[in-house]
Amino acid sequence: MYNENTLNKFSREHRWIGVTFFLDLINGLSLTFKYMFSKSVTMQYPDREKWVPYPRHRGHHVLRRDENGENKCVACELCAKICPCNCITVVPYEDENGKRRPLVYDVDMARCLYCGLCEDSCPEEAIALGSVFEYSSYTSEELVVGRDSLLEMDGKTEYPGSVVKARYLPLAQSTVEAQESSGYDWWRFIHRKD
Amino acid sequence: MELMIAAAVIMVKVILITVILFIVPVPLTWLERKIAGHIQQRMGPMRVGWHGLLQPVADGLKLLTKEDNIPDQSDRVLFKIAPFVALVPPFMVFVAVPFGDDVSIFGYETPLYLSDMNVGLLYILAVAGLEIYGVIFGGWASNSKYALLGSLRTCAQLISYEIPMGFAVIGVVMLSQSMNLSDIVDAQEPLWFIVYQPLGFFVFFIAGLAEAQRIPFDLAEAEGDLGAGYHTEYSGMRFSFFMISEYLVMLTISVLCVLLFFGGWHGVLIPLPAPIWFALKVGFFIYLFMWFRFTFPRYRYDQLMSIGWKVLVPLSILNILITGIFVY
Repeated sequence: MYNENTLNKFSREHRWIGVTFFLDLINGLSLTFKYMFSKSVTMQYPDREKWVPYPRHRGHHVLRRDENGENKCVACELCAKICPCNCITVVPYEDENGKRRPLVYDVDMARCLYCGLCEDSCPEEAIALGSVFEYSSYTSEELVVGRDSLLEMDGKTEYPGSVVKARYLPLAQSTVEAQESSGYDWWRFIHRKD
Repeated sequence: MELMIAAAVIMVKVILITVILFIVPVPLTWLERKIAGHIQQRMGPMRVGWHGLLQPVADGLKLLTKEDNIPDQSDRVLFKIAPFVALVPPFMVFVAVPFGDDVSIFGYETPLYLSDMNVGLLYILAVAGLEIYGVIFGGWASNSKYALLGSLRTCAQLISYEIPMGFAVIGVVMLSQSMNLSDIVDAQEPLWFIVYQPLGFFVFFIAGLAEAQRIPFDLAEAEGDLGAGYHTEYSGMRFSFFMISEYLVMLTISVLCVLLFFGGWHGVLIPLPAPIWFALKVGFFIYLFMWFRFTFPRYRYDQLMSIGWKVLVPLSILNILITGIFVY
């Protein structure tokens, strides 16, 4: 495509030929002309498209359920202990089956630094950092998320690294609703195929 | 009665040209942003209207509602008149610009220009040079180092590039034996002057780029080192006057390129109405200006000066010599 050695076609003492006829400038112009008609790589995020994060993306926290639909968390408080910014509050209680479960499981999204240590430390693989990344808010109180809403959050993604069609909902807290499950690979125009 | 009709026709033409000239920068800003976007593999404005077509309207509304800020220590009178001084000359240029052959509307034969001056070319070069006063006033009155440096650079640039520009045009005048723009265009009916005057066009185009303060000669508003150049301190409508004037200068240079070197409204192969051919050619040059802008880096100030005086002036004189020999 772009030949950066146009000027070097001439030997060192004849370089003035290329310079006189502006071969370097013409080369640059042809490059930009090609780009002008190439496909743009813009992801039209809020309006039409949305990015599906990779599974290792550390977004909004999730509490997982086991096969029986019960909260996996045993309220061991390891996550609260290891959390570097003390954003997790766990209060345990004993449920009707005599199991230790969290009565309170609050995560302060505003304090959290999304290091993922809670996820690493969890012996039951209950807490995880999921794929949701749109939860901005006008008050920091709203960013303290409780146990029940954590249980309802979306977990890790299934079609990671792709761009899906989406719809912008300015009235519903400015969220972007995905309209299909799998989209196209955003990197297709950027990764070289050679 | 004859006189009344003639006056009415001229009035209509004046209003039409003024309105068109006020409107033209609006799509041009959109086009520039779109071209910039696509060259950089972006999309440019997309959100206001279909493919961002209403973006200039939104920008205009925004500029209208901005605070009209005048710096405390500025020269208030000069500061206020500078945008108008910069705005008026590009409009005045179009008094002498012909857009096509005579047309008859409602059985009334009328030429497609406001004034058929026999020194139209000289008038255009002279009036286009007046725009520099707006730049000087704006830079001086702002009482800001960025604005002052920007206007200093602009002055030096415009003055040194007007000379090769004028010289480059002499070749055309020698060939067509006239300074009347309609005559110059008519002289190109068999063959465009670009064929006879490649050197002249080259010098004229580069000098035109510098006149319009476009990249690679946009030292006046080098964003990186000067803020925005001479209109750093301007806001709101006054700023947009400067922008309109810049786009109109670009339009002027494109129009002059077409009229002097590319056969004006004479088409090739495809028979289209004269004004449409004219608009197509002008549009091509405007695209060229924008394409250059997003391809090239900016020249350094001393390089700019040395290109002007050491390359373009000798080349334009050489062009006059060659043309003289051939005409003789």
